[in-house]
Amino acid sequence: MDLFLQYLANGVVIGSSYVLVAVGLTLIFGILGVVNFAHGEFYMLGGYIGVTAVTIMGLPLLAALPLVIASAVVIGYLAERLLHKALKDSDPTNSIIASFGLAVAIQNAVLITLGPQAQMANIDVSALNLSVGSVYLPGNRVLVPIVTALLIAGLYAVLHFTWTGRSLRAMAQHGMVARLCGVRVERVAIVTFIAAAALAGTAGMLMSSVYSVHPMAGNMVVLKAFTVVILGGMGNIGGAAAAGLILGITETMTAAYLANAMRDIVGFVIVILVLLFLPNGLFGKAYDRS
Amino acid sequence: MKPQHLLLAALAVAVMAFAPQVFGGYGVNILVLVLLNTAVVSGLNLVTGYAGLFSFAQAAFYAIGAYTAAIMVRDLGTGFWVNLPAAMAVTGVFGALLALPALRLSGHFLAIVTIAFQTIVYLVLSQWNGFTGGQSGLSILEPAHFFGIRLFRIQHYYYLALALCVLVLVVVAFLIHSRLGREWMAIRDDETLARAVGIPTTRAKLTAFAAASAIAGAAGAVYGYMMRGVTPDDFTIWLSASFVAMMIVGGKGTFLGPILGAALLTIAPEMLGEYAQYKMFFYGIVLVVAATILPGGLMGLWRRLRGSEQ
Repeated sequence: MDLFLQYLANGVVIGSSYVLVAVGLTLIFGILGVVNFAHGEFYMLGGYIGVTAVTIMGLPLLAALPLVIASAVVIGYLAERLLHKALKDSDPTNSIIASFGLAVAIQNAVLITLGPQAQMANIDVSALNLSVGSVYLPGNRVLVPIVTALLIAGLYAVLHFTWTGRSLRAMAQHGMVARLCGVRVERVAIVTFIAAAALAGTAGMLMSSVYSVHPMAGNMVVLKAFTVVILGGMGNIGGAAAAGLILGITETMTAAYLANAMRDIVGFVIVILVLLFLPNGLFGKAYDRS
Repeated sequence: MKPQHLLLAALAVAVMAFAPQVFGGYGVNILVLVLLNTAVVSGLNLVTGYAGLFSFAQAAFYAIGAYTAAIMVRDLGTGFWVNLPAAMAVTGVFGALLALPALRLSGHFLAIVTIAFQTIVYLVLSQWNGFTGGQSGLSILEPAHFFGIRLFRIQHYYYLALALCVLVLVVVAFLIHSRLGREWMAIRDDETLARAVGIPTTRAKLTAFAAASAIAGAAGAVYGYMMRGVTPDDFTIWLSASFVAMMIVGGKGTFLGPILGAALLTIAPEMLGEYAQYKMFFYGIVLVVAATILPGGLMGLWRRLRGSEQ
């Protein structure tokens, strides 16, 4: 039982990082209808920014946050131009190919410039070390769910209490009607991509002190995020948050009680089963997939 | 099919049959890969180009074919001509299994499932040490035989791959001009309508996946024999991405597109020389460019140019 609680805590930490990546992915899909296979690269680049800030510039980890956001503005903007604006009038499947190609290009650009070796940010946040009963979490891990909870709460507030948020939600409901009501669709698209890139980048930055970062790190993460998005129901932010935690905990428990090799496989098996039997996700409302 | 097309095809095969006399070992090596990639991408084209179903898992089927052959060599000691059809059968069954979710999904959902399948296959191959040899893979030491000839030189495998490629292209040409091919196109263009006019969409989708994966399985078995072994890193998601890139660049939904795309994207990186490390980067850019400005690929461009002339 003691170990069980420890595994649960680890699962929540990993699940939180999935939540941050998946929420952005589900935003981009829900609002713009773009399936962004390059989303893991936002995470990976965030991880490298974290490592650079801590190891090379000697900054505390959270000081990398403005850097992550600044780069998210640039990357998110460029990704929107490429994956949404340039493809707006073409077959929707083209965005699948384009974003997949973008992911391949970014990963290999990073591989060529920074090399294949994994890097890690060594930070000292022992002030945050958490020890409750038999559960022990080092500070760098405690940080992950805390920041995630703050960001998701912030996102919720923005979506519900600001005009930008209202126009985002209007777009999600019906793009054409939103445009007729005066929503500036172009701006909404850019804001969505930048916000999603910032969330994923923050996740990468936080996790750079937990796992090492390497050029292919985004690969697995984007697949996990898709798993989460599908489990939560495409476009459903609350669902993605819940499903992210569920996936993180499921993986940790699988690794602990079944076999470590099964850890990464279990999520994909679940997603195939869910798509087969519950195509709208665990929490999905009926959603038109045509 | 017009007679002059048949003549051109015969000419192309004759030229290809002479190629090993002209090129050295390195050139032949690349040409074998062109032939195998052409076969695999033509198979993928049945699923994506004709039936309109996305698949990023073609490398997984290539892997299953190669591993089936390698595992049969190790455990059963069977020869190439038993392992080849066995590899096709096993991959065909896996293809039909993957098609089960495909029956209910389309577009990005299907793309995600196929990527998940590709990842699962890679993880199983690299981690199930007892069965697949784990990261170090398996070796196929006993070469294939052909009427008593031991096929151990690259030129031998060139002709084997050429035969396979020609056979695959003949089958593909036959399929796309058959009733089944027209059913696939009907599903691609409007699935609801296709079902409404009585096309058995379930059967059509299953056969598209099974055919595409059996073709990849056959090519995979030949590849495994040629490389004298298999490792999981030969069959990553990158290879699937490359297959998709070849299909898109050549032109999906056309017979010649996969041939053009496979030839171009297999040979072009070899020309990069010292820039060979940029190969995957280059593929990525090619995919983005193709999707944004050239969605019909080279064949689409060709048709557009010819259309504007008239």
